[in-house]
Amino acid sequence: MQPKLVSNRVMLSAVLVVTGFLPVSASAQSGAEFFSHEIRPIMERTCWNCHSEQIQSSGLDLTSRDAALTGGARGPAIIPGNADDSRLFRQIAGLEGPSMPLGVPLTADEIEAVRTWINDGAEWDAAPATAVAGDGFSAFITDVPASARDYWAFQLPKDHPLPEVSNFDHPVDRFLEQKRQDRGLSAAPKADRLTLLRRAYLDLIGLPPTLEETEAFLVDTAPGAWERVIESLLASPHYGERWGRHWLDVARYADSDGYEQDVDRANAWRYRDYVVAAFNDDKPYDQFITEQLAGDELDNTTHETRIATGFLRAGPRVNFREKDNPERRWDYLDDVLETLGRGVLGLTIQCARCHDHKFDPILQKDYYSLTSAIFGYVEADWPMLPDAQALDYLATKADLDERVSVVREQIREIEQPYVDELKVERIRQEFPQDVLDAVLTPEEERTDGQKLLAAQVLTIGVPRDEVDAVMPEEDKTRREVLRSRIQDIESERPEEPPMIEIVTDGDYRYTPDRAGDNVLGCPECRIQPTEPGSFLHQGNGNYEVPPANFLIRGDPFSLGPELQPAYLTVATYGDPVTEIPRPNGRTSGRRLALAKWVTSQDNPLTARVWVNRVWHHHFGRGIVNTLDNFGVVGDRPTHPELLDWLAVEFMDQGWSTKELHRLIMTSEAYQMASAFESEQNSLADLENHLLWRYRPQRLEAEAVRDVIMATSGGIDLTVGGKPIFPYIPQEILDTAALFGRWDNQVDGPDVWRRSLYVYRRRTLSYPFFDTFDLPNQNITAASRNTSTVAPQALTLLNNPFVLDQARLFARQVAEIAPYDIDQQVALAYQTALTRSPTAAEAEIGRQLVEERSLRDLTHVIFNLSEFLYRR
Amino acid sequence: MSDAPKKKFWSRRDFLMQSGGGIAGMALASMLDRDAVFAQSPSTAQQLSIGQQCSAKFAGAFEPRPPHFAPRAKSVISLFMSGGPSQMDTFDYKPALTKYAGVPLEDLIGEKFAVRQGMPGPLMPSPFKFAQHGESRMWVSELFPHLAKHVDDIAFIKSLYGRSNDHIQSTYEMQTGQIRMGFPSVGCWVTYGLGSENSSLPAFIVMNDYRGGPLGGPNDWGSGFMPASYQGTLFRSSGDPIVDLETPEGLTADQQRARLDVLAKLNQMDMEKYPGNSELAARISSYELAYRMQGCAPEAIDIRAESAATKKLYGLDEAITEPFGTQCLMARRLVERGVRFVQLFMGGVGVQNTDTWDAHSNLVENHTLHAAESDKPIAGLIADLKNRGLLDDTLIVWHGEFGRMPISQRGVGRDHNPGTQTAWMAGAGIQGGQAIGASDEWGYKALEQPVSAHDMHATMLHLLGLDHKKLTYRYSGRDYRLSDIEGKPIPQIIA
Repeated sequence: MQPKLVSNRVMLSAVLVVTGFLPVSASAQSGAEFFSHEIRPIMERTCWNCHSEQIQSSGLDLTSRDAALTGGARGPAIIPGNADDSRLFRQIAGLEGPSMPLGVPLTADEIEAVRTWINDGAEWDAAPATAVAGDGFSAFITDVPASARDYWAFQLPKDHPLPEVSNFDHPVDRFLEQKRQDRGLSAAPKADRLTLLRRAYLDLIGLPPTLEETEAFLVDTAPGAWERVIESLLASPHYGERWGRHWLDVARYADSDGYEQDVDRANAWRYRDYVVAAFNDDKPYDQFITEQLAGDELDNTTHETRIATGFLRAGPRVNFREKDNPERRWDYLDDVLETLGRGVLGLTIQCARCHDHKFDPILQKDYYSLTSAIFGYVEADWPMLPDAQALDYLATKADLDERVSVVREQIREIEQPYVDELKVERIRQEFPQDVLDAVLTPEEERTDGQKLLAAQVLTIGVPRDEVDAVMPEEDKTRREVLRSRIQDIESERPEEPPMIEIVTDGDYRYTPDRAGDNVLGCPECRIQPTEPGSFLHQGNGNYEVPPANFLIRGDPFSLGPELQPAYLTVATYGDPVTEIPRPNGRTSGRRLALAKWVTSQDNPLTARVWVNRVWHHHFGRGIVNTLDNFGVVGDRPTHPELLDWLAVEFMDQGWSTKELHRLIMTSEAYQMASAFESEQNSLADLENHLLWRYRPQRLEAEAVRDVIMATSGGIDLTVGGKPIFPYIPQEILDTAALFGRWDNQVDGPDVWRRSLYVYRRRTLSYPFFDTFDLPNQNITAASRNTSTVAPQALTLLNNPFVLDQARLFARQVAEIAPYDIDQQVALAYQTALTRSPTAAEAEIGRQLVEERSLRDLTHVIFNLSEFLYRR
Repeated sequence: MSDAPKKKFWSRRDFLMQSGGGIAGMALASMLDRDAVFAQSPSTAQQLSIGQQCSAKFAGAFEPRPPHFAPRAKSVISLFMSGGPSQMDTFDYKPALTKYAGVPLEDLIGEKFAVRQGMPGPLMPSPFKFAQHGESRMWVSELFPHLAKHVDDIAFIKSLYGRSNDHIQSTYEMQTGQIRMGFPSVGCWVTYGLGSENSSLPAFIVMNDYRGGPLGGPNDWGSGFMPASYQGTLFRSSGDPIVDLETPEGLTADQQRARLDVLAKLNQMDMEKYPGNSELAARISSYELAYRMQGCAPEAIDIRAESAATKKLYGLDEAITEPFGTQCLMARRLVERGVRFVQLFMGGVGVQNTDTWDAHSNLVENHTLHAAESDKPIAGLIADLKNRGLLDDTLIVWHGEFGRMPISQRGVGRDHNPGTQTAWMAGAGIQGGQAIGASDEWGYKALEQPVSAHDMHATMLHLLGLDHKKLTYRYSGRDYRLSDIEGKPIPQIIA
């Protein structure tokens, strides 16, 4: 803004000089005529887009003289006869910030015309005020330069022909080999069978093969053994646990709200289980996304698809009093758009919240058009009942609540005089004299300050038993009658069905209070809606989305024009629908339309971004290394044709992720050795970007714990259900916030379930995971960091859980091979590392067991680098 | 802190044996600065204190990195007053509150405003007496008689403002610059920018109030989108400083040593299959650091060797000052040993009106307690650092998540106020005895030279020799700065 201010100043001084010689006068025409000819066109183009009766940015309406004189949050806009002191003039002239209008500044002539008009009395004409779209203001920019679409990621993926190479047949290898040959790189040989087996297990299910599984693979020497392993792993229920976890990183999933109260999300785990099941069922990715964006708007909506919308609300929420804090709603919408953008589209849409994107052709208008597409967004609890019954249940519940509250109010009226008396008594005892004085002063005689004090202090509570003690029997009897009436009403209350946490359309201004909303008193201080309405759509007619406005500079209090839904201009091909009206009329169908655009074959990003994520998890690095950013500051694809080809193939195969795994894992590239050195290769491509050997990858935090438990034999592989709370020392629990749930469980078989099921608390991540680079659970994650730091060593050396598991592992080994130390060492290696020890390792291991114990060896094994890697 | 730190398998002999020839002469040997430890004849080496051994330089993940320009300070001690101390009752003297006592603030400022809890009350004068102190005649309330003696070393910032009246959001703002969860904390940025001067201790150490952690929890010292290795390491001020630092019961030192030696041998053999894989080498050396840390971390906060006079200076001889005094003394020991950033939280979760500075319901009781707990320890810290010539190299920062309202809450408390708070800085060669910025007549909002969290952070980085515009971290396609896009160093502080 700074340069603009300067240029305005320069212009202004130019004007002053010029007008010294050529005074502009309105005397030739009446004030109203001058307005019509000179001022109205300016206002139509600039002011009225944001300062009208309907949209009053900064509370200011400039469409009539009265309104302008009244002014807005900053005071009157115009002082007739005195332009120099009029805020409107000062802001357009750059004398005072923020300079106006947004976008292209007024010309010197226009500024001078406004000065003249105000100095001559600021008359208006009688015509109605209608805004016309002006230029230069980002709310009205509707297109990006044609060249922006030339960028690779905004072009639709092409079905590139397979490169001709002599030594490889698999399509993936042909693309890779072509690049290798260009750089003179030679591919690593195939890894040995056991390495491959362990790689596939850790990759697809996140668990090592058992001894039996290893044995079975070793004896299966018939052609197709590798494919059979892949098939069995894809059919395993643990596949969904493993790959679902990858998606939960994208979905910034946690089991609590975060922030001060960190309220428990008692049913969030149902979304987690939905994700696991979606992977196990190989739910087509387009459908998977559609359900998560609009599972409540489908033609065949089910509980499952409703649960899927948990994706939208999986981020952190301040929760309490959000209705009173408009900025929080915008933060939540931003959270949704950021997750959709970085997670699904590979774009940093959130950067366009306050201004056009600095690097990518993403308009601020795009941001708010997308906001408009999701603006029906409300978070609701929904009963797991058939639709009609669900609505019945909600209606019955609302009705009962209302009836109960009426009776409660009658009880309150009976108790009030006694409560008031006791309050005064309490104030007399516990508060200073000035407070008591304020309360004792008759209401009409209180000073303004006393009124405030009295109002504040009278919100204190008094103990119920004290009220009962002073209340006469007669009133008690009346109260009893009312209480039994409440009981009668309550007896009609149907049993609460299981509830799910969903997102659907509604009107956020009527959001009912929920957990955490009541903790801080003074409901009467809250912003109350001015007109009647309802949270979820009720009654006849179709649901209408509350008005969704462009926010000037992203400020929730500076409403710009109302916007209709639209999508990213640069990534939109054709003319996608923006609303798909729903037969039941309860939602707008905007999110469904959004989902259609996101999962369309004509969306250049969605398939590419997902294919790239899958590739990343298989190879430890994406074809585009910045998984969440395909924009200009993201990395370029190392193999653009391959990425395109995979994306097209993926869509042609019905968006099947399992097919994609099969395709990738049957390539030679996936089966290359990681322990392979080539000086020539290293010189040309030290970082192995062109994939001349397999890339060893450290296990993720959850996998480290899972693999330890799987190796020790202690793991409980039950799939799904409520979260678990493995033991955390009290002193660590004490470091976290006052609120928040952790039902600390004693370490033992009950909590030896897969890490996927460990409760995710936003204000306190499980320390073991934290040490091994758990990503921030509050924003959608890109690839995980891999650090190698001393606390990891300390954890594996000293953590009681790890030591117990080592003990358990030793016991299991000793049970199978009670006497023979060499056999024990071999067995420990085979179980933990899917291979036999070398002669040297066997010797070292035998010595350790002889001199110390088997437990020493199993503990050392948990600390081996090899144990922590997928190679 | 009366328990001696346990050293189950730590001894000087162990240390020397191990570092001289243990762990099978791994790559580590070449990483060690032999001048510091090994070139000594055995007899000289024997005389090295554990402290000196723990100060030896090793290469590693947190190798010191050069600053952008000559730094004014090497380390930071951040004193976070959790709950939000009241500026009008500590350092921001507002006689006008007496004049306007009982008047609605709304009438004076001409606009409505919201408070965090319930409804606003009328203006309330401070129940505490103020006086001017030092040559600089700085105003300090009777709550801080000890600190008042050091005002000539302190620069007060009377106009630090924030954007949220919610504890957690504003704590995040003061710690990370953002009110949302998930951004790296200032200590994390400093570690990222400068690394560590001590390779046997974490670079960024956090100590919580003895009553519990601050509101906001570990996110207050988290690494956000940066690698987790930059996050603060929580030190406990009693027992073992770090979780999982100590070998658990039932495992002897000798046994662990044996396991470590075998582990090193096997990992070394494994690494040979992957020559040039730096991660594997780093993993091996991380075990060495872990081993050193087991000895050095307890030593670093072992205050038994401190003189009685020093302990008294921090108030360790009185029950009320003992907990925070101990932490302040430990903070000095940590910066002495090259720890880059020490974050202390004064006030922890628990009962609102006693456990943090959050004086909603009884200002007098609350602030009297917390000032009494922290005044002498902080004054002692300043004096001790000064006596030892460390104050010029150390930046002390004091603030809360927000200030408090000049109006009363039910006649006895004060509600949250992000509009302004008084923060202060000392050390790092900062000109003391100055007041920067000002709040309005009532202490409601920053009026002159408003200072944002971004400005404060930019200032801290500058004092450490880091250009806040150049210290960037690329995440999700954007070069993030701690100071975001608008922070700038406070000119009077960096002058």
